[in-house]
Amino acid sequence: MAEAIQKKLQSEVEKYQMIQKDLSKSMSARQKLEAQLTENNIVKEELDLLDSQNIVYKLIGPVLVKQDPDEAKATVAKRLEYINGEIQRHENLLKELERKSDQHREVLTSLQQEYQRAQGLAVGKV
Amino acid sequence: MAGRAVESDLAPDVGRLREEHKKVVKGCEGQIEHWRKVEKDYDSLQERLKTLPDQLSYDIMVPFGPLAFMPGKLVHTNEVTVLLGDNWFAKCSAKQADNIVEHRKKHVKRTLDDLHKVVKNFEDRASFTDDLDRVSGSKGDYVDIREEVLNDEALTKGKRRVAHKPHSKPKMDYVVALEEAEEDEEEEEEEDKEEKVRVTEGEDRDGGKGVVTEEDLWAQLDALEAQEEQLDERDRMCDLTDTNGEDTSSSSEEEKEREGTGQTNDSPKEDHATSDIHGSQLNGVLHTHPEEEEGKEEEEGEEDPNALPTIYFSHTVEPKKVRINTGKNTMLKFSERKEQKEQAKNKKKKNGKANGHSRHDQHHKITTPADIYRLFVDVVNGELIPRKSILKSRSRENSVCSDTSESSAADFEERRSALGRTLSHDDATHSDTSDCVTEEDSPPGIPLHSGSRFEAFSGTVVEKDPLPSSIPHLTIAPPALPTILERKSEELCTEAPQEPPKRVSKFKAARLQQK
Repeated sequence: MAEAIQKKLQSEVEKYQMIQKDLSKSMSARQKLEAQLTENNIVKEELDLLDSQNIVYKLIGPVLVKQDPDEAKATVAKRLEYINGEIQRHENLLKELERKSDQHREVLTSLQQEYQRAQGLAVGKV
Repeated sequence: MAGRAVESDLAPDVGRLREEHKKVVKGCEGQIEHWRKVEKDYDSLQERLKTLPDQLSYDIMVPFGPLAFMPGKLVHTNEVTVLLGDNWFAKCSAKQADNIVEHRKKHVKRTLDDLHKVVKNFEDRASFTDDLDRVSGSKGDYVDIREEVLNDEALTKGKRRVAHKPHSKPKMDYVVALEEAEEDEEEEEEEDKEEKVRVTEGEDRDGGKGVVTEEDLWAQLDALEAQEEQLDERDRMCDLTDTNGEDTSSSSEEEKEREGTGQTNDSPKEDHATSDIHGSQLNGVLHTHPEEEEGKEEEEGEEDPNALPTIYFSHTVEPKKVRINTGKNTMLKFSERKEQKEQAKNKKKKNGKANGHSRHDQHHKITTPADIYRLFVDVVNGELIPRKSILKSRSRENSVCSDTSESSAADFEERRSALGRTLSHDDATHSDTSDCVTEEDSPPGIPLHSGSRFEAFSGTVVEKDPLPSSIPHLTIAPPALPTILERKSEELCTEAPQEPPKRVSKFKAARLQQK
């Protein structure tokens, strides 16, 4: 009895740890996205500070590629859009993962109690 | 103890919380440091950008690899390429670069402000946790609250009550059936019981709250009277026990009485933890004999606790005394054959155990009705029979009694209602006592009660099992039962299982009589 519960408990703990890993992974990804968002926001604002006679380059690999300022602005705007979408996606993912981890935590606590009870019974029997 | 334990539990948690706060604050301070440096860099950059276009060209030492410099000239002083971020570059004038730097500095400043806010927030939290730790550590207020919580845990009483109710409800049906047959006898007993109830109420109140009301005073007076009576009764009981060998013809009456006595006996036990202990001890003694009687007795004790929760207790307890005095004779007489046999067995078993218990009982005498009961038993111990008879009566009653006892309780209530008219005091006291009992249970010595009651519950569960087994036998072989019972009783003389026959005797006796 106690052993079966212990096995179950172990598998549950492993699942829970997996979820925790995923959670932390998506959390760090989200943080990265957040940083990119702020950076791109700054780029967008600074591009607005420039006028049409300024030349804009994009660093692609080792070379600076000349870009049209308007095109650059559009690209940055698209980039911002994409980042926002990504952040939204990660937000949902995080929520889902947190819900799952909560569920697992509940299961774990109940299992733990069961296990302790079983252990206590076993001890009592002994 | 509880408070200390909580504190000890709290201390590490608080310490850890504080540690986490400090960690966050430290991290924020590191970031602030970083952003300050960035800001300073931007300041110097801005300074340079402002002065750069002042001249057309500058003579500078150009870094040539990591090790060498070479002289050179800086031209296009008003033309800079700015990294906007995300690998975007823009060629712009120094003036525009200055604007961009200004913009960047704004952002840096915003970040710094945010970090400062976070630091302040967490510093406040850390100080709050410090205060909490200090307050909880130094002052006892929090500790007191925690102790209350612990009490609540012990107070499961409420749950017990709930549990009791369910038990009592099912029993009521039986009670109704039994009541009709018992009513006549019970009515007579009721008066005595009411008196006893007053006594018990007084006792309960005294033990529990010490609230003095007219009812309480009356109850106390009654209790004192009851004690005197009990002492007298004890003397009588010894005599009575000797005379116990009366007819079995009164079996039905005996059963009823037994039920009543069983209830009374049980109620006192429930009221006091000590009484419970006695019951458990008695049960344990009985257990040594593997017969149904033990189970019945246990069941009764447990069942009674279930029913006992409030009202029944007080009523039943006092009646016991009266009944015991007046009724014991009859009880003992009725049940004499079985009881005597059982008693002889029980006495053998109980005497050893009961004697040890009796000491405790004597100590407890004053506190509870149950104690009185025990005292009786103890006193009887010299003669032994009265106690045993009482216990036996319980056990016998138990067989029918689990149902009948409750039914009797219902009867008691009915009686009360009828008697209440004449005895307004009793009703008031009963209601009061019921409340008092509940209240009393919760505050002071209750924990013990609760524990005992719980035990009683478990015991009740056990009891149920034995009953069904006995009942089927009865139903299966109703006609043969009497003979079987007799045989059993005869056998029981040496053994303890007379109770089952008694149960059978009630139903069967009724059937036989009818037939």
